[in-house]
Amino acid sequence: MTAMSTVSATPKIDFSGVSKTFHVRGQEVQALQPVDLQVRKEEFVALVGPSGCGKSTLLNLVAGLLEPTSGSVTYDGKPVSGLNFRVGYMTQKDTLLPWRTVNDNIGVSLELSCRSTPRAELKERVAQMVDLVGLRGFENHFPTELSGGMRKRVALARTLIYRPETLLMDEPFGALDAQLKLIMQDQLQKITQHQKMTVLFVTHDLAEAIAVADRVVVFSARPGRIRAVRDVPLDRPRDIFKVRFAESFSRLHEDLWDELKDEVVKGTDV
Amino acid sequence: MAPRPMSMTVSTGGQRGGFAALVTTLPGLIISRFLILFGFLAFWEFASDRLVSKFWVSSPTRIFHLLVTWIGDGSLWPHLEATLTAMGLGYVIGCAVGVSLGLALGFLPMFRQVIMPYVSGLYALPKIALAPLLVIVLGIDIGSKVALVAVTTVFLLFYSTLDGIRDVDRDLVQTLRLMGASRSEVIRKVLIPATLPWIFTGMRVAVRYSFTAAVVGELIAANKGVGYLIEANAGLYDATGVFAGVFVIVILSVAMTEVLTRVEGKKAPNH
Ligand SMILES: Nc1ncnc2c1ncn2[C@@H]1O[C@H](COP(=O)(O)OP(=O)(O)OP(=O)(O)O)[C@@H](O)[C@H]1O
Ligand SMILES: [Mg+2]
Repeated sequence: MTAMSTVSATPKIDFSGVSKTFHVRGQEVQALQPVDLQVRKEEFVALVGPSGCGKSTLLNLVAGLLEPTSGSVTYDGKPVSGLNFRVGYMTQKDTLLPWRTVNDNIGVSLELSCRSTPRAELKERVAQMVDLVGLRGFENHFPTELSGGMRKRVALARTLIYRPETLLMDEPFGALDAQLKLIMQDQLQKITQHQKMTVLFVTHDLAEAIAVADRVVVFSARPGRIRAVRDVPLDRPRDIFKVRFAESFSRLHEDLWDELKDEVVKGTDV
Repeated sequence: MAPRPMSMTVSTGGQRGGFAALVTTLPGLIISRFLILFGFLAFWEFASDRLVSKFWVSSPTRIFHLLVTWIGDGSLWPHLEATLTAMGLGYVIGCAVGVSLGLALGFLPMFRQVIMPYVSGLYALPKIALAPLLVIVLGIDIGSKVALVAVTTVFLLFYSTLDGIRDVDRDLVQTLRLMGASRSEVIRKVLIPATLPWIFTGMRVAVRYSFTAAVVGELIAANKGVGYLIEANAGLYDATGVFAGVFVIVILSVAMTEVLTRVEGKKAPNH
């Protein structure tokens, strides 16, 4: 930790006193109470908390889609203003282009002039991604012809393919079955480690949060504030399929669950 | 592409005799339809000069003979050609201008805010009211008919294009922007593809409107065209000529509707 802070003192993402209040038809909805959180370069941080506590809002702030009501969000030491092109954002709602096939949806970012890619390379990278998310055989299907979980995987492939330095992921594996979820978590770990990505990962699944993240942040019910932050004491690379049986895993799980369960109860009876 | 919805034939469970049983079979259906038409024509033929003077209602045989004459001596073709040309040219011009205007105003919201009251004002005006003015400016020839059709079509296409652009899912635009797409890339990769189904819908609707506009333009003032044919015969108090002209229009409309239904059936939207 001390070595770390001498190497790079500026966090990749820095929320300081960030709060957000929405105004909806004359009503004020406070989504976030002031939040302080630093995400280091190449760190994998998972956010968990009851529905409506402001997790997606936090990601939107990093992407520059929203502005904080108070406080500041900085990225690489600079305040985020306007869209933040350094991040790849896999939103909660999948925003696939309905008129494009799986292949064409995945490759869309490489067609853009800002990272124009030769045709052959584009095809190859798309094919790699199709394999990675296990959609071979569906390359030429349209989004309406896919299941919810398949659409999520297309969205994941579309985000990973252009190798953004930071990933914002909003419940990326929520719609997948337990088996596939593990496989995707494993792939994600490999890619983010290999490409030294910084990740902000929202999930409802506490076990998933612990399995993939370096640090887990638990939020309170709306208006969200940080209730607990825990480092995950598991070495990398992790065996995603077995890590659940480690002693330290279950201890952390129990600890975080104690924090989370009160909030979930509060969150549901509002 | 996306699977085409099948048209369903609902079968009425229990056994029904007579008429219901007849129309559930295809030949039966055709025969019953034909019987209605035949009955109508027979009554018309019978009534002509017995119940009503043929001066007012002519008769099916007379109309049929006149149509055969028109086709035989070729006098129908120039009129048909004039109507279809006016309709086709006006339609193409109207679609091109309407879509371009719709896209332009859709992409330039500032410009749209300034100009929209004028567009809505013109839209509210019944286009037929422009016909006399167009005749004065462009003459009695085909030009004024082309213009009338174009004016009618422009608004249809303009509004469907603009509605299409406004209906585009903002999240799709945001997703592409965040990937680093430029403004023109957002237009090419999101706005235009998302708007295409709306444009196609506008184009289908506009076919019927432009046909009507062409014929009405000819009824008002022309020297050629199916509309003119009707108007000229009406001027001569020739009911047979008027009915024959109307019959030509009915045939054209039915043909157009048939073609459009086929096209619509093929074009299953994929979202
Ligand atoms: N664009 C918006 N306009 C108005 N209110 C909003 C908007 N976005 C979010 N909110 C409000 O802010 C609160 C937090 O929303 P957010 O989407 O961040 O929750 P979340 O933690 O992601 O929930 P979930 O787990 O259900 O996705 C909610 O109460 C919501 O009503
Ligand atoms: Mg959310």
